[in-house]
Amino acid sequence: MNPSSSRYLVVAFLCFCLTISICSPSFAQVTAQQPPSSGQGTQPASAKTQSPANEDFEFGKSDLELLEQVNILDRRFEREGLVLEDETTNAYLKRIGDLLVPRGLKLENVVWKFRALRDPVPNAFALPNGSIYITTGLLALVDNESEVAAVLAHELTHVMRRHSYLENRSNRKKFLTMNIIAAVGAFNPLGGAAGAAILIITTVAPFLVIATIFGYSRELEHEADLKGVELMANAEYPPEEMVKMLKLLNNDIEGEQIRLFYNDHPALQDRIKYVSAYLGGNAVPTTAAMELNRERAAYFARAEPIMRHDIQLAINAARFRSAVYLSQRLVEFHPDSSENVFLLAESYRTLGPRSPQLTDKDLTNSAKKDAAKKRAKRTPEEEERDLLATPGGQENWKTNQQKAEELYLRALQLDTPFPAAHRGLGMLYEKLERRTDAANEYEEYLELAPTAIDGERIKRRIEALRRPQNAIQSPIH
Amino acid sequence: MLFNHRFTKPAHARLTCAVFVVALAAIAPYAAHAQYLHPKIISKQTTIRNIVLLPAKVEIVRDSMKGPEGMGAESEQLSARVAQLVADALAAKHITSLTVPSAPTDGDSQQKYTVADIQSRYDDLLPKITKKKKDVKKGRFSMGDEVLNLNVDKKADAIVFIRGRGQKLTSGKKAFVLLVGGMPAYLQLTIGIVDAHTGEVLLYTDSISAGDPTDPSSNRARKGITKSLKKLPAI
Repeated sequence: MNPSSSRYLVVAFLCFCLTISICSPSFAQVTAQQPPSSGQGTQPASAKTQSPANEDFEFGKSDLELLEQVNILDRRFEREGLVLEDETTNAYLKRIGDLLVPRGLKLENVVWKFRALRDPVPNAFALPNGSIYITTGLLALVDNESEVAAVLAHELTHVMRRHSYLENRSNRKKFLTMNIIAAVGAFNPLGGAAGAAILIITTVAPFLVIATIFGYSRELEHEADLKGVELMANAEYPPEEMVKMLKLLNNDIEGEQIRLFYNDHPALQDRIKYVSAYLGGNAVPTTAAMELNRERAAYFARAEPIMRHDIQLAINAARFRSAVYLSQRLVEFHPDSSENVFLLAESYRTLGPRSPQLTDKDLTNSAKKDAAKKRAKRTPEEEERDLLATPGGQENWKTNQQKAEELYLRALQLDTPFPAAHRGLGMLYEKLERRTDAANEYEEYLELAPTAIDGERIKRRIEALRRPQNAIQSPIH
Repeated sequence: MLFNHRFTKPAHARLTCAVFVVALAAIAPYAAHAQYLHPKIISKQTTIRNIVLLPAKVEIVRDSMKGPEGMGAESEQLSARVAQLVADALAAKHITSLTVPSAPTDGDSQQKYTVADIQSRYDDLLPKITKKKKDVKKGRFSMGDEVLNLNVDKKADAIVFIRGRGQKLTSGKKAFVLLVGGMPAYLQLTIGIVDAHTGEVLLYTDSISAGDPTDPSSNRARKGITKSLKKLPAI
């Protein structure tokens, strides 16, 4: 055999191996853990017959390394102030989680922890060590306990079925494949048709590998949705709330492509369809406990402090429309609360020249893309300035500031008025250049809340406002 | 002949290219630095004497043939080391690093939240700064007077934010990078100095240096930080 033909055979063999390795990992995993087929509206038989946990799973070196990393991550979330340190909330989430975890289930290297993450973006995720995080943004958005259970059940399935480990193993294989492809492509010694074929394979193959990574992730999400429904029913939560929760997430308040539980999920519409179809064939009789779990008022009473916390986070993160939407819900639930009315006022004030709701035109895909590009470039202050230069922006600003003022004043007239309403009025008047009124409101705030964390900031503002106008040195933001 | 022609010629070209890259890596310091100062600093309207360093966030990964793997513990160690290096570089300019009075403690959730919120506010602003770094010179970026909520020492003139990312290569990946190409081991750092009273971004600097970021004996990170703060006036 001459050197040319032997080299040809080596390269051909490598290409064959690559083709096999591209296809095999996902297939192998489908066989090993039998995730349900992703066909819409079909009830995967496996979802019913499988154990809730992946009992055959055995830890390998790479799995233990991943476990070590997530344990570090867990500690970091706490240390960096990302976890909501509220005993009541954590106990509440733990109670729901404990109901969902099948009785007597013991999993190696899993310690169940259910915690709220201080993040206004509606989201949730599970770490393979059993830590399940649900953001305050999602807790504030849902309507009842059953919807929280739906989120937790989905995430619990990821842990019980060891999805993170399986995905990690799969990704490692696929990365290795991609690197081999790159090596073959770089050293392709052949010319002519064979060389061109190898070039095409090595160019296209990485895209196929990436597609299988996302495809596999979607399969796991599909399984988590359906197994989650089963967990809910077993714990006497009405499983149809899973569909309602998905529909809730479909409400695009900020005009952004809201990430759902995670990045690589099937489209929301598809998820709604296949979970609905699955439920259709698996009707669960409603019990009194189920009715209780979907009681909205009980959930709002429990989650009110989390919702307030989240509204403030939403304002800080320039998610002003979400803040208006969530505080409006809170005021409707508890209209006599000075703090709730104050939060609604804050939301309108910070909304500035923006409209409280996006129009259908704003919600088209191209409009969302444009808005995302602008968001990446402009600071919220610059966005505000640009909007104020338009008649629509000016109109919105006027309306929103009027609403904010009315609401601040209302908050101060209610029983046990919330002191920060004075601060809000101060900021509002400062923008309207009513300097004396602003300073007076700030002073009133400091009098009522002398130990406020923003005391220093407000004192400096008062100093700047009381100073003669031509002596102002530092800008006020 | 045909075999030789088709195989040796590209191989020769690759070898030349590899030698060139290796030589370039050996000769050049292989580090890039950019510094952008607010007009207030240039005109000396604002002088930075005392600073407060917020906890650095440096993330590194180990890149292997099987993809990137997290290095949580090493990232934490490196974050602390980088923060110390920045403090040393500033001390060389006679700028004092004050302790964070609001250092998060286990019992004080509110203070922990405040630090986390300010850090995330900076993280929101950072992509906008990196998109148009030159605008720091125009005084375009500000975090607002919310920075006062940190209640740092009254002597503090500025708050320092450090972010970074990098990667270390396994031996297999090193060989792969050498033969096929790809991203070598590196450490990229950004430092933002923000006015402790007004929240204005007074200085933004970024640096990238090649080499294993976890190597404690390496002086690259120190040199990179020192160079990236070169334009900041000493007191």
